[in-house]
Amino acid sequence: MSQYGMIIDLEKCVGCHACAIACRAEWEVPTGKDSAQRERRRNWVLRLGPSKTPQGMASTYYPGLCNHCDKPACVDVCPADKVEATFTDPKSGATKTMQVAATWKDPFNGTVQIDKERCLGCGACADACPYSARYVNEEGGEPKADKCTFCVERLAQGLEPACVQTCLARARIFGDLSDPNSEVAKYVQKGAVKLENAKVKIGPNVRYYANKRDMHLLTTTSIPKTMPQANLRRTIMARMLKPAMDQVKNLGMLGLAGVVIAKGLSEDDKQ
Amino acid sequence: MALNLTRRKFLQTASLAAATAAMSGCFADRAKAGTPFVKKPFAAPGSFADTKTVTGGICEMCFWRCQLVGKVRDGRLVKLEGNPKSIDNGVSICARGNAGVKLLYDPDRLKFPMKNVGKRGAPEWKRISWDEALDECATRLKGVIDKYGPQGIAIFPHGCSATYPMNFFENVVGTPNNSEASFFQCRGIRDTAYVATLGVPPGENVDMANAKAIFLLGGHFGENVHVSHLKRYLKGLENGAKLIVVDPRFSASVSKADIWVRIKPGTDTAFLLAIMNYLIKEGKYDKKYVAEHGKGFGEFAKGISHSSLKWAAKTCDVPEKQIKQVADTLAANAPNVSIHPGRHVSWNGNDFQRERALACLTGLLGTIGVKGGFVPGKGPKVGKVGWPKLMSEHAEQFALHTMAKLYKFSPPGTPTDLIRNTAVTGKPYAIKGYVGWGQNPIQTIPDQALTIKMLEQMDFVMVCDVMPTDITMYADILLPELSYLERYDGYIHKGTQWNFADPQQQFIAPRLPLVSPIATDHERKDSIWIINELAKRMGYGEHIKVKSAEEMVEKILAGVNLSIGQLVKEEGIHLQPGADPYGKALDVEFYSAELAEAGYSAIPTYVPVPEPPKGFARLVYGRSPVHTFNRTQNNAWLHNEMPNNPVWLNDESAKKMGLKEGDTIELVNQDGVKSRTSSVVKVTPGIRKDTIYMAHGYGTMNKAMTVASGKGIDDQSLITRLAVDPETGAHGMRNNFVKFIKNGKVLSIPA
Repeated sequence: MSQYGMIIDLEKCVGCHACAIACRAEWEVPTGKDSAQRERRRNWVLRLGPSKTPQGMASTYYPGLCNHCDKPACVDVCPADKVEATFTDPKSGATKTMQVAATWKDPFNGTVQIDKERCLGCGACADACPYSARYVNEEGGEPKADKCTFCVERLAQGLEPACVQTCLARARIFGDLSDPNSEVAKYVQKGAVKLENAKVKIGPNVRYYANKRDMHLLTTTSIPKTMPQANLRRTIMARMLKPAMDQVKNLGMLGLAGVVIAKGLSEDDKQ
Repeated sequence: MALNLTRRKFLQTASLAAATAAMSGCFADRAKAGTPFVKKPFAAPGSFADTKTVTGGICEMCFWRCQLVGKVRDGRLVKLEGNPKSIDNGVSICARGNAGVKLLYDPDRLKFPMKNVGKRGAPEWKRISWDEALDECATRLKGVIDKYGPQGIAIFPHGCSATYPMNFFENVVGTPNNSEASFFQCRGIRDTAYVATLGVPPGENVDMANAKAIFLLGGHFGENVHVSHLKRYLKGLENGAKLIVVDPRFSASVSKADIWVRIKPGTDTAFLLAIMNYLIKEGKYDKKYVAEHGKGFGEFAKGISHSSLKWAAKTCDVPEKQIKQVADTLAANAPNVSIHPGRHVSWNGNDFQRERALACLTGLLGTIGVKGGFVPGKGPKVGKVGWPKLMSEHAEQFALHTMAKLYKFSPPGTPTDLIRNTAVTGKPYAIKGYVGWGQNPIQTIPDQALTIKMLEQMDFVMVCDVMPTDITMYADILLPELSYLERYDGYIHKGTQWNFADPQQQFIAPRLPLVSPIATDHERKDSIWIINELAKRMGYGEHIKVKSAEEMVEKILAGVNLSIGQLVKEEGIHLQPGADPYGKALDVEFYSAELAEAGYSAIPTYVPVPEPPKGFARLVYGRSPVHTFNRTQNNAWLHNEMPNNPVWLNDESAKKMGLKEGDTIELVNQDGVKSRTSSVVKVTPGIRKDTIYMAHGYGTMNKAMTVASGKGIDDQSLITRLAVDPETGAHGMRNNFVKFIKNGKVLSIPA
């Protein structure tokens, strides 16, 4: 079992925003805000400082993306009906079957993914994310939650994630945190940190590496203060819409790396 | 290496996963899943899905010209990436490069030839045919030439595609009045000062990747982004180079620096002179290099001997011991030191002297042709194909700076200031035709009111551009140009591998179109077609050497035994073995007899600049990583990253003024000129109290730029006072001072 993760090395990052734009191009992320006033973004760079820190004046960046958390707050709030899905470990061939809503954490690569076909577009997941890493894409006629997938679709083609490929500084490093020989794991050993605290502790798998003053600036400005409260009204509204959605046959799973097929779907096909 | 292997293995594992997914058949099921009752949700397929990769792109979101590939689906460009074959930028491109797609399909782009049936500055556009447009341009430009002579035409070019028009008007029509913004408002001073000192224009040719110390004067890398340049810089830092940054502001580079010299703006030359004087007095300079290659060193040493550390400390408002620390750090790491020549250097009107001082410091440390030093790479040579120089003598005769015996170290062309003054005064001759090509002088040249006056007195104004920038509002005829992604334009990029420590290689990469311009909603053309058609109508048809941009590229490539077909086969980039870039020494004119003869200071001299009046702070501007001046402002993706240009204000000053982070403000300058638009305050300890800072290029006027219009403050609108560099005639733009306005109330800035 793997846990894909990313290191952002702020010693290298120059704050050029190429990662954010490459992601926007790759995944056709619209600009502006969604109707809940969330920034439409999968990937972002914020400039921090210059500010005084105990270690002296500092200025750095907060390049962010979905943390593909160990305990993702976005997954449990998804109101879509659960279906049975079987996942396959590409390394061992082992399989695991679980009940998943329209968003789930992959048991074998640790990424958090969305099935766009089954997503109700309610935005509950986006509200639940303390890192504001999800938004609702309203471009396609039907609103759908969207977020960083760690470019598993590109990985499947033997390509690097779009943000990693374009980074001139090689400040974004992607890999398998569970492999102690990986570059990302080595950064963890060197002290790369998670943006979490006592109140927000859901195991983010994007970690940051920086000198002391930049780290001070990053952690004091960019760790969420609290876990967001789920928007009850939005969830209720979504549940009211569900019966209509249940009528739809052929609920497919997004063809992501390691994902096999929803059992319910095969049954529907037989009918 | 181990890490790379791990990465590759990792990617292979991921590929296997894809195979699994495909075999499971979910893609097929998904395809069938649509029912008449449910719309298929939007799910971007990714740039790799059903696209073909087209090679040969050369970026022009800025002018570093990274090599690109395009991912094209059904004739439409989906994504731009760095060309994997590139030995320059590699697979990386910057934010602007990535956003090129958004320029290509920007709905605000110029589409058809247009005639202004309203007024200049308040245009009403009528679509006309190319024939009508070209006939009118030819007749009216010819009218100006017949009445006032070729010198009656001024050309304002910028960018690759402007070279052909520029050469036509200079060489064939015969006007000397060419204002290249890239020289007169940017790097021209640097080039001529280095030529006067080291005999070569420096480019940004410092071997930072292999340096032990890097010295930046105002360089703010990270905010200013050129991919292979930054790769060199970051490699140097990774290898442990000491970074010294001289800047009144805690810039992106300062945040990575070992030493931040928080200098008082405008005093940099004093700082450099004190360093050099100290190094000489302490015997910490490269005596061997200076003895072998220095000219006039004695006069130089004597001439700067008054420049004590104490004097500089007071002048520059930095601690004396810090100046000494900088000098000692440079000496300790010499000769492997990168003294960066800068890029945009027209700051305060005393800039030639500062650039001379930088070149002298480079020589004094012997950091020329050595690892980490000033090392012009050995790139391949390719020829040129273009207009014959028929009228060069005529042009020379009417060159305004030659006639006025001014600006004897002027870069090629004519100083913008002289062109504009001549146009407005009619002395010594009339300038009545304006040809703009890719340049937006409204946001490039100080004193917008005077620029507009110049435009208003013209008999004819012709502008060709990709976007409706502010200058296009003043055109009589406005021509739409193809973008860099859909045209040949005769440009051939060439150079070496980015890191000189790697095996020596050279590359030749002509710009090839990534997508076809054929479309039903526009009639854009390339500059070679446009100028050829114009030339024929003006009676210069017989001098045309190439019929098309494509032919031009073929002819240039044929000179090095290459062809477009061959380049396509070679994935857009021809690679060949390179040569060792190290080992070449250059003579150093510490004392320049040439300058003395021309009546200028023969050794680098500090010329004080005006101080901010009470209640004002000096307006300093710089680069945003997501924009190239004003050119990219209408790009929806880039705009979204930084929708305005926050005005940096010292935190203690802000407190006294009652301003908070994010407050909406306007600015007013020393001449009472107010910003047309507003921005927000950025409150930070990372800037001096006597300085305020903002990114350049915002505050577009033209409403036809629907994304950019009115967003942020146009710094150029506040730069009304000129500081003209006496050696070069280039515009210094940092001798202007501002106060804040909040809710209509003017707020003085405490000292």
